[in-house]
Amino acid sequence: MARTARLTAALVVALLLVAAVLVWRFGWGPAPASAPARVGGQLVATIRSEPRTFNRYIGRDAASETVSLLTQAKLVRVNRTTGEIEPWLADSWTLAPDGVSYTVKLRPGVTFSDGVPFTSADVVFAFEALYDDTVASPVADSVTVGGKRLEVSAPDATTVVIRFPSPFGPGLRLLDNVPILPKYKLEAALRAGTFASAWGPTTPPSEMSGLGPFVLEEYQAGQRLVFERNPHYWRRDPDGVTLPYLDRLILEIVPDQNAELLRLQAGETDLTQSEVRPEDYATLKRQAEAGRLRLEDVGIGLDLDSLWFNLKPAAKARDPRRAWLQSGELRHAISEAVDRRAFAESVFLGAAVPSYGAVSPGNTRWYATDVPADPYDPGAARTLLAGLGLVDGNGDGMLEDRSGAPVRFTLLTMKGNSPLERGAAFLREELRKVGISVDVVPLETGAVVQRIEGGDYDAVYFRFQASDTDPAVNLDLWLTSGAFHVWNPSQMAPATEWERRVDDLMRQQVSSLDEGQRKWLFAEVQRVLAEHRPLLTFAAPRFLVAISSRVAHATPAPMRPPVLWNPDILAVRR
Amino acid sequence: MLRYLARRLAFAFVLVFLVSSGGLLLTRLAPGDFTAELFGSTSAQSIARERARYGLDRPILTQYLEWLPRAARLDLGVSLMYGRPVGELVGQRAVNSGLLALAALLVATLIGVPLGVVSGSRRGGFVPALIRGLSLVSLSLPPLLTSLLFVFVAARTGWFPIGGMVSVEATQAGWDTWVRDLAWHLPLPTLALALPIAAMLERLQAQAMAETVGEPYVLSALARGVPYGRLIWRDALRVAIRPVASIYGLVVAGLLSGSFAVEIVTAWPGLGRLMYDALRARDLYLVAGCATAGAIFLAAGSLVSDLILAGIDPRLREIRD
Repeated sequence: MARTARLTAALVVALLLVAAVLVWRFGWGPAPASAPARVGGQLVATIRSEPRTFNRYIGRDAASETVSLLTQAKLVRVNRTTGEIEPWLADSWTLAPDGVSYTVKLRPGVTFSDGVPFTSADVVFAFEALYDDTVASPVADSVTVGGKRLEVSAPDATTVVIRFPSPFGPGLRLLDNVPILPKYKLEAALRAGTFASAWGPTTPPSEMSGLGPFVLEEYQAGQRLVFERNPHYWRRDPDGVTLPYLDRLILEIVPDQNAELLRLQAGETDLTQSEVRPEDYATLKRQAEAGRLRLEDVGIGLDLDSLWFNLKPAAKARDPRRAWLQSGELRHAISEAVDRRAFAESVFLGAAVPSYGAVSPGNTRWYATDVPADPYDPGAARTLLAGLGLVDGNGDGMLEDRSGAPVRFTLLTMKGNSPLERGAAFLREELRKVGISVDVVPLETGAVVQRIEGGDYDAVYFRFQASDTDPAVNLDLWLTSGAFHVWNPSQMAPATEWERRVDDLMRQQVSSLDEGQRKWLFAEVQRVLAEHRPLLTFAAPRFLVAISSRVAHATPAPMRPPVLWNPDILAVRR
Repeated sequence: MLRYLARRLAFAFVLVFLVSSGGLLLTRLAPGDFTAELFGSTSAQSIARERARYGLDRPILTQYLEWLPRAARLDLGVSLMYGRPVGELVGQRAVNSGLLALAALLVATLIGVPLGVVSGSRRGGFVPALIRGLSLVSLSLPPLLTSLLFVFVAARTGWFPIGGMVSVEATQAGWDTWVRDLAWHLPLPTLALALPIAAMLERLQAQAMAETVGEPYVLSALARGVPYGRLIWRDALRVAIRPVASIYGLVVAGLLSGSFAVEIVTAWPGLGRLMYDALRARDLYLVAGCATAGAIFLAAGSLVSDLILAGIDPRLREIRD
């Protein structure tokens, strides 16, 4: 037996030696490339799941969105690096004095990938399909204002009039969600009531067409999607060269993020679906220093990990003894009990900055810099808790409430999301220092959502994924009537005065067409939220993207997909 | 024998029925549903419409009773994720998984059984200790770690592709290129899946062989001058192979569950990966379909293992007859 143990140990050492020799012998991957870009060639990107459909009006998954970005185009698009809207299929637009009607002139000479001309009829059809009740598009709600739909008409083949139900601050920005689909291909399906199942994963690529830079050439289920350049694409670079630069773009389906990273390191792929995890940063940095890939720091990310308590009246009624769970003082105490710098160091391994409000500092356009920040002060936190009657009565270091019950709550978080799990563990330790016991319960996303929707929880630590930087596009979060007003959703009337104030400010913010006024109003919203802390945030992670050295002209942005949002200018270095 | 076969088929039918029903019902009962990922990105009304579209707003029993008669006619429903018939999706992926499983089973058998014979038939010595050590290392490495290790080695050396089943170029070339490319992609996931099984087979075979070589008839055959090699590899192996053959059914079922991690890490487009995606998305029809395929694998494996056992042990044939 002792001999077997010795041999086993020797084998493990031998395996490690072999690994070391392999690294020494073969290095870490291909040699760096640095020559200028050229027209042609192919790039390989990875996605972690398969597209569920090629019909963007039905699919909201990341893969379907990526396919749509490659194969379709919109009237306007939001430039994800600047946050500004840019004319895309729309050549220009004017806003009428009524403040609600936009007259959009379409770009002339644009054709679909099969050569059929693009006209205003396609735009009208796109909105008809989007809003059709039989289609029941999950995208449709994001293209409404105050729950009302836009009216779209076409006075001629190159003009579209889009009428908003009321003045809307973000204006045509809303159309970034609407790729224009070909009427001549899909009208029959819409009339037959089968639009929702049209352009599924089994649809032959030849039956689909689009206005995007690429066309789907082949879909090998479970393996990859192959895209060829769209020969009829309408964009040109400043030198007049027809885009896209690439001849071919391949999306390899790699479900495991570790394998995805290894493929990038080995030079098998050029781009990944999402940002670099904090734990991978050190490895990739070494590779980047050796020139084998580029590690781009895009800045502070837009997504925030937030903690909130269940503020629904029903929760308080269910357990009146723990009314302190809904008090603002508890949230204030927690905010002061957590060392945010240590949080950023520990949870995001230093690749983050402290965060104090409900908006990420990465959202430079809308983040209010003058929002008060709670200092790290555990002593002050204990004083606040004592004010709630939460004191250490028995001298065990942990707090009890007035009835003598321990001060304890359950914190739900998402299983498998390492920053969230690490963050929840960090919070548990920090709060223990001020005498609060936290039971961290990691659950599958579906289970967390079910508990949130049912109001069956004490507190949740969850990641909000930004779909747009403009707060008016995420009204469901800010307004008390919103289903995503997570701490107390779908209120008939605002439950508190400060929420009523936020409602008023946001309504003005949405309807104002004055950018300066909108900024001031949203800064005021952030100040109110900072005072009442319904969402507690602790750190905003930096958004780091790893790209192969072969890739030229990449413009990474802090949203997913970080590089493929701008696919037509991507190129391969010589 | 026919009655025995009929009994085994009836058992297989019950197994498939229970597993597929369990797959559907448990996925439906688990917290959250297919629309969970829409949370925060669309309105409550839109989520309610999606639930209605997929029938998730109906009672579980109604949904199950609608599905059951269709499933009995081998119509396993339409995947919520992909909007495609489950049977079609599962069929495509089962072929890929079957190919991987077959290769892994073959490799595991070719490695595990001979090594087990060698280590079980010798008392002491360096070679049996080395084999035991290798087996312990392989057994203690879960397929997830093994596949990551192989992927790492492939990434560093370029000896094998890091993942996937066939490369883009091969899919656009002729059959011979396609087969060569497939053969080039196969070793990595095959080894990751096969190594722990080979180690298990080696341990079982070694134990059975050690017991067999201690039997009086083996000793007397040796005394009669039967050559040692022939005695071990022909006569003793015939007896010692029975415990190994009897667990083949379970090994086949284990291959499918083991392939979960391997298929995900090596991007092999198989059934394990499909089921993983289906479970994550709470696609209940697809989960039920994958579970059905898994149960068929298990039932078939168990049947094959029984037939092999009956083939090598006449006593069992008689009992079953």
